Parts: sequence; C-alpha cells; structure tokens
Amino acid sequence: MTAQAIGVSKWFGQKVALSDVTVEFTPGVTGLLGPNGAGKTTLLRVLTGLQVPSQGEVKVLGVDPRRDRSVYARIALVPEDEAVYPDLTGRQFVELRASLGRCPVPDEAAARALDTVGLTGAADRALGGFSKGMRQRAKVAAALVTDPEVLVLDEPLNGADPVQRAQLIDLFVRLGSEGRTVIVSSHVLVEVERMTHRVVAMVDGRLAAIGRIDDLRAAMTDKPRQVRVTADQPRALAAALVGVEGVEGVQLGADIIDVTTTDPVTLARSLPSIACDGGIRIRAITPADESMEQVFRYLVESGT
Amino acid sequence: MSLRLYRHLLGQTLRGKRLLGAGALASVAGIAAWVSMAGVDTEQTADIYRTVTASVPAATLSIALLIVASATLRDERDGGTLPYVFITPMSATGFAVSATAAAVTATLAITLIGWIPGWIGSWIITGSWDVAVPALALYGIAAAGYAAAFVPLGYLFDRSLIIGLAYIFVWEGILATVVAGITPSSIWRIAMSAYADVDELPPDALDMLGTVTPGKWGAVATIVVLVGVGTTVLGWAVRTRDAV
Repeated sequence: MTAQAIGVSKWFGQKVALSDVTVEFTPGVTGLLGPNGAGKTTLLRVLTGLQVPSQGEVKVLGVDPRRDRSVYARIALVPEDEAVYPDLTGRQFVELRASLGRCPVPDEAAARALDTVGLTGAADRALGGFSKGMRQRAKVAAALVTDPEVLVLDEPLNGADPVQRAQLIDLFVRLGSEGRTVIVSSHVLVEVERMTHRVVAMVDGRLAAIGRIDDLRAAMTDKPRQVRVTADQPRALAAALVGVEGVEGVQLGADIIDVTTTDPVTLARSLPSIACDGGIRIRAITPADESMEQVFRYLVESGT
Repeated sequence: MSLRLYRHLLGQTLRGKRLLGAGALASVAGIAAWVSMAGVDTEQTADIYRTVTASVPAATLSIALLIVASATLRDERDGGTLPYVFITPMSATGFAVSATAAAVTATLAITLIGWIPGWIGSWIITGSWDVAVPALALYGIAAAGYAAAFVPLGYLFDRSLIIGLAYIFVWEGILATVVAGITPSSIWRIAMSAYADVDELPPDALDMLGTVTPGKWGAVATIVVLVGVGTTVLGWAVRTRDAV
C-alpha cells in the first residue's frame, strides 16, 4: 500500500472527527465516500500531514509526512476549500507550486499541468476572476505540476460543470491507471462510480464500508426505503398498501402516506393497479430517504 | 530556507490595503514628531523628535508591526491556502526560517515607511538630515523583535491580534512599566536601549527605558536570540501542530 492510516482518531475538544480509522490505499483510484461531516476531509488532512492525529499513525510512501517532509515531493493535495490566491494568475499559482515542489523547470512543468486541465487559454488571467469550476481545475493543475505518486483530491468536482466533470473524471482515471495512488473524496456515489469500483465509505468519523462499489450497492438494496405518496384518498390507499409484498409500515398524514418497504420495485408496480381499482387519484410519488447520509447511517448500523 | 517561499509570503503579507494601513499607522509617530517640532526653538527640536520617537511608536508602530507580522502565516491559514505552501519538501526549520525572514523584511519595510515622515520633517525644520538617523536603530531592532514574536503567534492562535494587543498594551504598556523585574521582556524597551546608546536622549525619553540599561550590542544580541527562539517555536509548531 502507498498510504495508510492505522487506528487514527482525531478530536477537536469534545468533538470526535475521526474514530479509530484503519484504512489502506493502493495504486489506482479509490473513492472516499460519505455525507457532509463524515470525516472525509479530516482523514485526508491527517493523511497529508496537515493535521496531526490525536491517536494512531499515518504512513504515506512508508513514512509519516510530519516526520519526513521530503515525502511531500511525491504527494499532492487538492484541498476542499475554494481558496486560491486571487491576485495571482493561474500560471503564477501553478508555477509557485512547481517551485516549492522543486520541479527542475517550473515554468515548463506549469505549462504542461495547465494544458492537462485545459486552462492554457486562461492561464494568464487572475484567479480571482475564475469561475468555481476553473478554480478547481487550477487547483488540480497545481497538484499535478509536481508529478505526484500520491494524489489526494478533496471534493475535486465541486463547482465543475458537466463537461468539466467528465474531463476531470477521465483525468483521474488516467492518473490511476498510470500507477499513481489517487484518493478522491465525494458525497456523490454516481460520480465516484464513474472513476472507480473501489471505495471507502465513512460516516460520523468511522469507517462504514471498504471494498467494491458493487458490494456497497448490494448492502444498500437491503435497506428499507421510505416512499412518500400524495393522493386524494390517503386512508383508502394506505389500507390497500398494507397487503403489498415488502411493505413494512404505512404512516398516514393529511393527504400523504409515508410507506416503508423493502421492495420498492413491487410497490411501484402495485400502486397503479391499486389506484385504478379503488378510484384513487395519485398526485405524486417521491423517495423520502434517499440522502447519502441516511444510506451511510444504515450501513454503519447494520455493521456492513 | 526557500527563497521562493520567502518571496511569496513577503508579497502576500505586504498586499495593498495592509501595506497602506500599516504604513499609515507606522507613520503616525513621524508625523506627530514633525507637527510637534514645528514652531519650536531650534535647540529643542531634536529633543522633541527624540522624545516623540521614544514614546508614540510604542503604541502605533508596534500595532502596525503586529498586524503585518502576525498575518504572514495567519493569512494563509485563514484563507485556506496554507496547504499550497505547507505541503512542500522543505524541512520544518526551513519553512520557519523562510516565514520569519519574510516577516522581518515586511516589518522592516513598514518601519522604514513610518520613519520617513519624521526624517523629512526633522530635515525641513532643523535643516539636518542627521536628527532622525539614530532612530533607525530603534525602528530596525523593534521590527525584527516584533516579527520574531508575532509570526508564531499568528500561526498558532486564531486570536493572535487580540493576544498581540494584550502584549503591547497590558504587558509592555502597564506591567513592564510598573514591575521592574519584567521590564527587560519588553521588545520596545530592548529596541529603546539601542536608541539610547546611539543618540543622546533627553530625560523624558530615557524614562521609557525603566530598568533596562542602554546598549546597542546588548539589544542586537537580545533580538538575535529572540529571532532564534521565535523561529524555533515556529518550526516546532510546523512539526507538531495542525496546519489547518
């Protein structure tokens, strides 16, 4: 493995941000998944030495970056913060990173990195005038300019438009296939799925799941789902739904019903016939619990 | 030490509004000296310059230096840009030396800006360029001393400005004045001891020294030690404390 956290905990006063996290990252792309506040950013900061673990140990390329800073020549981070130097141009920013990272020819390295992220045309404009997506790409260029073996990206697709997202995803996949260790955090499962099948999922500062994305998806399908149905005769609809396969509970509101089911497909197939048979008009069907946070909480509670 | 990091931090520290604000604040003493000298008998003008220079900047220049020096790394941390300069293959000591060197250069630039109005004013009024020159010892040593103290402060504490102001007004302004034992811990008085050695200060100005003995080399040596301690503390913080 090229990066590992061993029994790492991190707390800030009373708040526990990471709790006994042990995880290893190997060459290729690994997705770090979790809802906001799950501890992804803290884990990445601890891995890169920006934060010191309260407990446990971190090793990147065999050493603790805090103790042997020479390893920073082989590591790069794209931080989550939008912050860049607004007065610097894109080229100056990337050249700064190249110089500090001891690139032999900083200007040439910067030009290559800017070209890789498609920012050559805007390279001489001040970063303060960049869109959010352009800033993200400038940050990625600043990370790539030192040709790192370990690339840590904290929510790198935030603010990027769909075309930019696709380009960045392709870039990360390519970097992973070149044998680099690419760690990409995100709270959007489908984005990560386009980059890799290998994921580490976190919630509440703990590891929720490690493994292939297919396994994670399988675990998620076992989770009872909540579906909200808006109808003109909710009481009659609720009575009919109780007998549908997989329905575990029905909660009645003024004109809504919250249905808990382990088999949403059967529910979706049954609803039209129930509505026709009972003369019930269904106005809306919406998933009520599809946030990533709930999914990850379920994974933690079920011990996956 | 990294020259690239030094240049970057210096440029970021002395940006537009901060340069103007700190420069203006640092200039208050020189302008006050100029105004105080105007219309006074020529035999007394030099002493007025010295008295004002020994007292007013203790409150104005020191705040300007606090603002500049504490911002050297705090700006990067608060602005979320610290990772770009932190994740670099240079030793913690090299990082600390670069940051301290940038802060000392920035504070020296601010003190020079603050010194110029008094220098011009003293020349206009006395006809001599020499009256204000010895004050460069005071200003230069104060700049290095405050930079050494306030750079680690800015890196370590979110409320570095408040802590720095407490040092300037409570520690230096009150405690070091009334408690003889802690007078030598005042950076301003250390700098003043050099000024008192290179110029003939009037009694009012000498009163500022308290129990500190005049001596330029002693002041230089003390500030060199302070810069060394400040750099060491910053290096320790870079190694052992959270950077964000």
